[in-house]
Amino acid sequence: MKKILVYTLLTLFAIFSLFPFFWMLITSLKPFGEGLSLRIIPKTITIENYKIILTQYNFFRYFLNSLIVALSSAFISTSFAFLGGYAFAKRQFMGKRVLFFVLISAMMIPGMVYLVPQFAIVNLLGWMNTYAAMVVPHLANIFGLFLLAQYITTLPNSLIESARIDGANEIRILTNIILPLSLPVVITVFLLNFQFHWNNFLWQLIVTTKEKMYTVPVGLAMFRSAHEELYTLKMAASAISLMPISILFVFAQKFFISGITQGAIKG
Amino acid sequence: MDKPSTRETLTSYLFFLPFLVIFLVFLVFPIFYSLYLSFHEVRDLSNVFGNLAPCGLSNYKKIISDTGFWWGVFMTLYYALLTIPTGIIISLILAILLNQKIRGISIYRAAFFMPFVLDAFVVAIVWTFIYSAPYGIVPNILSKIKENWGTVNFLALPATAMPAVALVMVLKNAGFGMVLFLAGLQNIPPSLYEAAEIDGATGIRKHLYVTIPMLKPIILFLVITGIIGGFSAFAEFYGMTGGGPTITLFGKTLGATKVTGIYLFRAFESLKLGYAASISFVLLIITLFFSYIGSRILGKVRY
Repeated sequence: MKKILVYTLLTLFAIFSLFPFFWMLITSLKPFGEGLSLRIIPKTITIENYKIILTQYNFFRYFLNSLIVALSSAFISTSFAFLGGYAFAKRQFMGKRVLFFVLISAMMIPGMVYLVPQFAIVNLLGWMNTYAAMVVPHLANIFGLFLLAQYITTLPNSLIESARIDGANEIRILTNIILPLSLPVVITVFLLNFQFHWNNFLWQLIVTTKEKMYTVPVGLAMFRSAHEELYTLKMAASAISLMPISILFVFAQKFFISGITQGAIKG
Repeated sequence: MDKPSTRETLTSYLFFLPFLVIFLVFLVFPIFYSLYLSFHEVRDLSNVFGNLAPCGLSNYKKIISDTGFWWGVFMTLYYALLTIPTGIIISLILAILLNQKIRGISIYRAAFFMPFVLDAFVVAIVWTFIYSAPYGIVPNILSKIKENWGTVNFLALPATAMPAVALVMVLKNAGFGMVLFLAGLQNIPPSLYEAAEIDGATGIRKHLYVTIPMLKPIILFLVITGIIGGFSAFAEFYGMTGGGPTITLFGKTLGATKVTGIYLFRAFESLKLGYAASISFVLLIITLFFSYIGSRILGKVRY
């Protein structure tokens, strides 16, 4: 009896929280004129909206831009965090505690504070409407660095020392010992970085003014203000925007959840 | 431990170099540059950063008497008040429900958590469609209860716009609190519940006297990130209300959901960059202040 109640509550909440996405998909699959019908199961299902939004409204290009930005950012920032995380975990150096304190404090600063000065720097560098503007300012991921450092600390020092005795240099130690052993955390940080950059809407909005540099959410913002009434197309564009992260999440939810939980609980 | 040698320090920093360069240029320097900007104003709209005029403290003086800004702070606190406690309660309930011996835990967990990783702006666009009157789902369901409710768009009414946005974000973020609470619940030793049972606590009271005190660090974390998040909130409002609908109070036109994030963005958009920079500084101080207050209050609560 008690179990039935638990299942009912959980299922109700799941329906409530996932319904908007279900409705988005259903609307995006309806024929053009039926965008406002309230049928849960549409009379006819069509992928016409996706074709139109990807080709006529150039979302294919925006999708590529998003992909280039998110993939390159995730790759570079994970590498940077990995190198720094290793140094934090396994090397001694002067100023370690100061650096730790500075990084922790920087994590407390709300992202909005950076809006104006980062924009100014990108402007002075002449980077407006480039991939560099979207990627470079967010490559220092403190959260990822600490997540990796925390994990690498737990690896036994003896492994590194014996490799050193065998004549391995630092780079070999990193690529042949540390990287394979910390791969799950590296993947986690990579996925979280990819997600951050795929969703980095506000920043992409302010550094792109040329249509061919739009990312998917920026394209969606522009499309919305120009075509308020094209509901089926708007929902198709939204679905395209949410799809990559949803798919990644379904296949790699363990990495997402463990990464976000660990970072929050220990940090 | 031995003091690290200079050589070792230097090679260690070599590992840090790529990270540190970005950190210094894009996260440390901007804070100082922003401070510099906040004492200047834009003179030439075609060359905004090349031609700045020093203006002393005038930007900060302007903030003190800027109704729109303080209204934004007020609305942000209102938003935080609507989202943080409800968010904590809902995610705690979900976590307690999921912490039973039931099947399909991972499916439920994934279903609740997924919205959290999605882009707030796009989620906002989807919800705008769901709220929109008279075609959206929400007014259509309401019209079944009372006919003239079919034309009500919650996002367009001053009194309901903020709660409507808050509801969306509570639903979107509930999974985050839930996984944290779930991890926390699994760390509570069962002996504590047994001890509480011996002392006569049952059902709800067991949670009140054991669960909640044990989860206090997570609650504190959610309050502080909630406050920081509130003062950074932008995409959800940009997507759903744009800061509106407008209301008139004491002869001033204000936006019913014009939180600080939107207010800062509008100042930025109209190229009042010096002013926007000084707003970000005041916001930073306000955020730190409320995070501090939040942690002090929670630190003092006794169970």
